[in-house]
Amino acid sequence: MAGQPAERRVYFEDVQMHAPLETPAMTLTETHTALFGSLTLSRPADPAAIPDLIPLCLSSGLGWRVPQPPLVVLAFMGFEWRFHHPTRVGDTIRSVSTTVAKRSLKEGGVVIEERSILNQRNEVVQSGRLTLLVAKRPVA
Amino acid sequence: MNGEPVVYFEDVKVGDEYVSPGRTVTEADIVVFAGLSGDYNVLHTDAEHMKASLFGERIAHGLLGLSIQQGLLDRVVPGQSVGPLAGVKWKFKGPIKIGDTIHVEARVTGKKDGDAPAAGVVTLARRVLNQRGEVVQEGETDHVVARRPA
Repeated sequence: MAGQPAERRVYFEDVQMHAPLETPAMTLTETHTALFGSLTLSRPADPAAIPDLIPLCLSSGLGWRVPQPPLVVLAFMGFEWRFHHPTRVGDTIRSVSTTVAKRSLKEGGVVIEERSILNQRNEVVQSGRLTLLVAKRPVA
Repeated sequence: MNGEPVVYFEDVKVGDEYVSPGRTVTEADIVVFAGLSGDYNVLHTDAEHMKASLFGERIAHGLLGLSIQQGLLDRVVPGQSVGPLAGVKWKFKGPIKIGDTIHVEARVTGKKDGDAPAAGVVTLARRVLNQRGEVVQEGETDHVVARRPA
């Protein structure tokens, strides 16, 4: 990456197991629903209901705002997810992620992360496991 | 919803199939999704970096593809036969690139009792295909669907 600032990154080797990372929180608004609706061409019947996929989508961005450099994700391979409670406009969500498994491959490694999304009452509204392909540290 | 006939759990049959219309995924979709989600990973936002990558160019966020197929499928399922999501098991099989046209094919593969007696759970197997017929995403979704009132 000639000419680019040497940004700090978390590579496969750096990923800590069983070390929960909590994100900052974000309040869900009608604007989130409107932007999401413009992408998906859909609109909830109840304008105060947040579409089920929004908290999951926001949790990936909130994950960039934890006090550690970003993980070098090469690909999002898959996930399993449960929706426990609906969210409404005005709810404030945050997410907590923990790496529960790491498997080294020839090119990169697989990281399995458990993630819970909580609301302002500390109820888990959504949770599941994500499988990520993460880069290994480049050999200098 | 808007005078559409309501479809109850009893009306959904294992083997029912739905095919959505297509939708071309644009650069604007990716930029809006990056802004909405806050996921600015280089995979989706840095065209120069991605030239040298496995994919050769920016790709759509996996969760953008998931969100788009959800919207596409909602357009073809009758009434409320696909109710709120209860669960998702999903695999991202290949990239969705700018200009790709995707659609979703879904099939009812299971029906079971839910936590509450007033509703059941319907399982759909879904495949998201691009314009070349390649499966780019696939998985299963569980939906809570109301039973016909007694």
